[in-house]
Amino acid sequence: MLSLALRTLLRMALTFFVIVTLVFLVTRLTGSPVDFVLGEGLTAEDRQILIRYYALDRPLWDQYLAFLRGFTDGEFGLSFIERRPVAQIVAERIWPSLQLLIAAVSVTLAVAIPLGIVAAVWRDRWFGSAVMALAFLGYAIPDFILAVFLVLTFSYWLNWLPVMGNATALHFLMPTAVLSAALIAALMRFTRNAMLDVLGQDYMRTALAKGLPERRVILRHGLGNAWITILSVVGLKLAGLAASGSVVVETVFSWPGIGELLVRSAIQRDYPVLQFGVVAVALAVIVINMLTDLAYGLADPRMRQGGAR
Amino acid sequence: MTVLHAPAAPGPIRRLWDEADTVQRAALLIGLALLVLAVLAPWLAPFDPDRQSLIARFRPPLGFAGARPGHWLGTDELGRDILSRGLYGLRLTLMLAALGATLGLMIGGTLGLLAGVVGGRTEALIMGAVDTQIAVPFTLIALFVLTVFGSTLTVLVLVLGLYGWEQYARIVRAEAARLMTLPFIEAARCAGASPVRIALSHVLPNLVSPLVVQFTLSLSNIILLESTLSFLGLGVQPPTATLGAMVGVGRDFMPTAPWIVLVPAALILAVTFSIQILGDWLRDRADVRLRRR
Amino acid sequence: MKHLLIATALTGALAGAVQARDLTVAAANMASYLDPGRDHSNVGSQFYYNSFDPLIHKDYSRVEQVFVPGLATEWALVSPTTMELKLRPGVQFHNGATMTADDVVFSVNRMVQADFPPYQVRMRDRLSNFDRAEKVDDLTVRIHVKREEPLWETLLNLQQLYILPEAYVKSLKGDPNALEHDDYEAFSLAPVGTGPYRVAEFVPGQKLVWERHDAFWGEAAPLDRVTVVNVPEVASRLTALRTGEAQIATNIAPDQLALIDADPGLKAEGMLTPLFHVNIFNVNHPRLKDARIRRALSLAIDRDLLNEALWLGKAEVPASHTMVEFGDLYMPELTTFRYDPEEARRLLAEAGYDGFEITYDLHSPSYYTNDALAAQAIMEMWAAVGINGKISAEPKWTGNDPEMMVRTWSNPMYFADPFGSFGVMWAPGGPSESEGRYNTDAGFAALWERFRFGKTVEERKAAYAGMMARFEQDPPMLALYRPYESWAMTKDVNWKPQPGHIPYVLDFRAGAISFASN
Repeated sequence: MLSLALRTLLRMALTFFVIVTLVFLVTRLTGSPVDFVLGEGLTAEDRQILIRYYALDRPLWDQYLAFLRGFTDGEFGLSFIERRPVAQIVAERIWPSLQLLIAAVSVTLAVAIPLGIVAAVWRDRWFGSAVMALAFLGYAIPDFILAVFLVLTFSYWLNWLPVMGNATALHFLMPTAVLSAALIAALMRFTRNAMLDVLGQDYMRTALAKGLPERRVILRHGLGNAWITILSVVGLKLAGLAASGSVVVETVFSWPGIGELLVRSAIQRDYPVLQFGVVAVALAVIVINMLTDLAYGLADPRMRQGGAR
Repeated sequence: MTVLHAPAAPGPIRRLWDEADTVQRAALLIGLALLVLAVLAPWLAPFDPDRQSLIARFRPPLGFAGARPGHWLGTDELGRDILSRGLYGLRLTLMLAALGATLGLMIGGTLGLLAGVVGGRTEALIMGAVDTQIAVPFTLIALFVLTVFGSTLTVLVLVLGLYGWEQYARIVRAEAARLMTLPFIEAARCAGASPVRIALSHVLPNLVSPLVVQFTLSLSNIILLESTLSFLGLGVQPPTATLGAMVGVGRDFMPTAPWIVLVPAALILAVTFSIQILGDWLRDRADVRLRRR
Repeated sequence: MKHLLIATALTGALAGAVQARDLTVAAANMASYLDPGRDHSNVGSQFYYNSFDPLIHKDYSRVEQVFVPGLATEWALVSPTTMELKLRPGVQFHNGATMTADDVVFSVNRMVQADFPPYQVRMRDRLSNFDRAEKVDDLTVRIHVKREEPLWETLLNLQQLYILPEAYVKSLKGDPNALEHDDYEAFSLAPVGTGPYRVAEFVPGQKLVWERHDAFWGEAAPLDRVTVVNVPEVASRLTALRTGEAQIATNIAPDQLALIDADPGLKAEGMLTPLFHVNIFNVNHPRLKDARIRRALSLAIDRDLLNEALWLGKAEVPASHTMVEFGDLYMPELTTFRYDPEEARRLLAEAGYDGFEITYDLHSPSYYTNDALAAQAIMEMWAAVGINGKISAEPKWTGNDPEMMVRTWSNPMYFADPFGSFGVMWAPGGPSESEGRYNTDAGFAALWERFRFGKTVEERKAAYAGMMARFEQDPPMLALYRPYESWAMTKDVNWKPQPGHIPYVLDFRAGAISFASN
């Protein structure tokens, strides 16, 4: 158990370091912010001035060390565009994103698991399929279409919900719905499948062979082992959501979150913000994955040994 | 003397059909129809999909006021025929998705197999790459790749292929690792079989089922990713139409000209629906434990 | 000036000059920093006018340049290269400090003797003739130029020369008595000026809040509080108007106007923006060296059709790089750009065009209104004369890329003179030439001298005509049209963009905005 934890920790540290370096290299080698300022009248001389201003004329190695040093002294530099500390900018935006993420995951869990069980248990009946069909719609419609559609329906036509920002609880409804839609569909399917797996297992068959009605058996034994796998999937999805951000939702609903910040700074090559932001998100994802792996490892003894071939 | 003949066993296709329920039959038919439409698009499309008509922009489908004759599903923001663009878009989207998913399968599958069978440092390296990929927002990866190499179709397929290779790798490696602990593999090794042979003859056959399921999942994911890229302004160059591009551009006109979005969105829905149902069906059939029906 | 005062007073009396009223604007773009000296983007230009003043103001309700006192009450040349200005007494900055000559000298010199890189970059293109400002006494300054300047008032009206408080800027970082670069950086996050609204809250890229500055030297701001929120998605901007979350929405494309017209609660106001959407050509690209090919690229485009189809006819298609805002220097008689597909075909044949691909670079995500639509339409128009065009959309600026062939750009009117539009972009040694896609020679430079520093209008016009003739023969660019930009608002808002401003200014000063009587 300890060795598993240690190995996972090591892997996490290594991955983190690789990501940090990769982000640095890829951003710097694929274009400079001076290229992405929409050339509104910059002479070649001006470009040079700006390159010096952003300290981009220092050797790459130098810049890399300065970047790494940021991790030790907490000074990650100033955004090229906003000229204020990167950590401040990212911190401002992480909280709204986190709130939305928590809301979306809570809604997803509350809706998908029960519905998934329903879909599995009542799979022979029409509402089992109906439930799956509804979930499917949430998944198959591109998220920005769903977002714009909800805005047009609930804000534009019905005037029930606000569309700008994150000020009140009402503001959370539509963005959460959009973020949850795909998650619910995925988790529902997974729950349903996991449930069916459980139903097929020996102890369940025994119970059923004894003559107990299927529904009672399920309610009594619950999801059994499936719980762990479901939670690990939730972990994965959570990580995925955190990683790919919610740029669509943030754009449509003017949500001051980190997804839009990352995409914008990627497009504008605002290196300090991009580097710090990606690394922060990566850290969160790695931690979540590590916890997920540990949980999975706890459940399956064979995985604990690892490497023994 | 009477010769009794057993009734001819139904052919495999007929068997498939009989076993399917209504939803699955619908999915099968829809899927086939979409495939036919995509393949025959160049012959079915009434207009050149890129042909503009600046004086006939935003015309609604036939039957609504202001419709332009010949344009069954209306025209878009540059007066191009929506039906034609939808057909070509379907074609291109399916091609991109298939190529991308195949690429992902090949990359991820090979790496996962390698990791699972060989183990040790190779496995650590490969799984490390998987972890790295998962931790970085894919939209950013796509952004960088497309910015550096340009938004050509080739690069796009590459990007779409990269999207999700780690899923394959994880699945394959997990399954391979599991199989490697089984006695019969041990036996094969003792018999002197090389890792390659073990991988190909013993591990691979057992992977077909989960891989196929993941493949179908990939297909729909890729189609949706492609539309997100278009939303961000990456993705195919205008005037080329994929379903994702049509939806991305059309969203600005949803209140006034919803047909521009509805047609490609409906097609995406139909494609995803049939892929998912058929994928589930395959999974159900392959899963032994579920045979207790 | 008197008319303006009377008109304003009347409007004020009728509508209730100081309304206890808040306003929210849903903006497509929000500035990432607020420093009028550093900024010359179309995004930033929306925000400075409400919070800052220049030495010399204009009557912004007029297209013609009518200069009126700003922070300076009188001004006169004391020598051919020196202007003396008397400053307005008792002007208070938003932080309570009183404006003196020190602030003016500081504001001007920080730009014209810049050592801070972002200011240096701005200095070059339009302030290069300024030498320095000096204090004569607390309410008098002298500004020196290097050679006689025909555009004094125009330049002293520039956004880049808005007046900032010296003591405040110095106090922001480090040594409160020294000017450091960090001070400028900090200022752009917490700006202070003399205008009728002070910046109460600024979250870069997200939100800006203005509150009435009670000690404003001029007529009081009509609104208590204005909030500008970044709403990038157009459907969301329009929806915000419907839900009441905003009263004004910016950047409404012509295609959205039908929706607004159909809505009884909304209306749209627009204006012909003083800027051109242009296509630039790389004259040094090996395949485009032949001017005939570039002329064909230009002649093949039916700009009037683009206007009809994409702009509902509301854009203006110019025959030359000239705008009515240039006043005496407006030259509608020139024909530099026109549509002639037959001639285009002829020129292509003459030049021996063999059908090689010509790439058209476009910014993606979309930057200029209708840019993607226009680009696709242009590809078709090219195809009609036999040009094999292909769109290449990416987030990068390729203007300095030797492989670039054709690309989209804009030439804004930074100030109301051809020098402030054509001049800034196409000067010898200016941005276009130094990017390597445009060449000037001695002949052009001579014309340029007379155009920039000519003492009479006739002299300048003649020189300009000469330069435009060269642009027709050996084109480095094509001016497509002046876009018609629209703002949507709720019916009770009386606001529209004023013709005397640079593009996109959100002017909420007295007289610029009021609400329909309740």
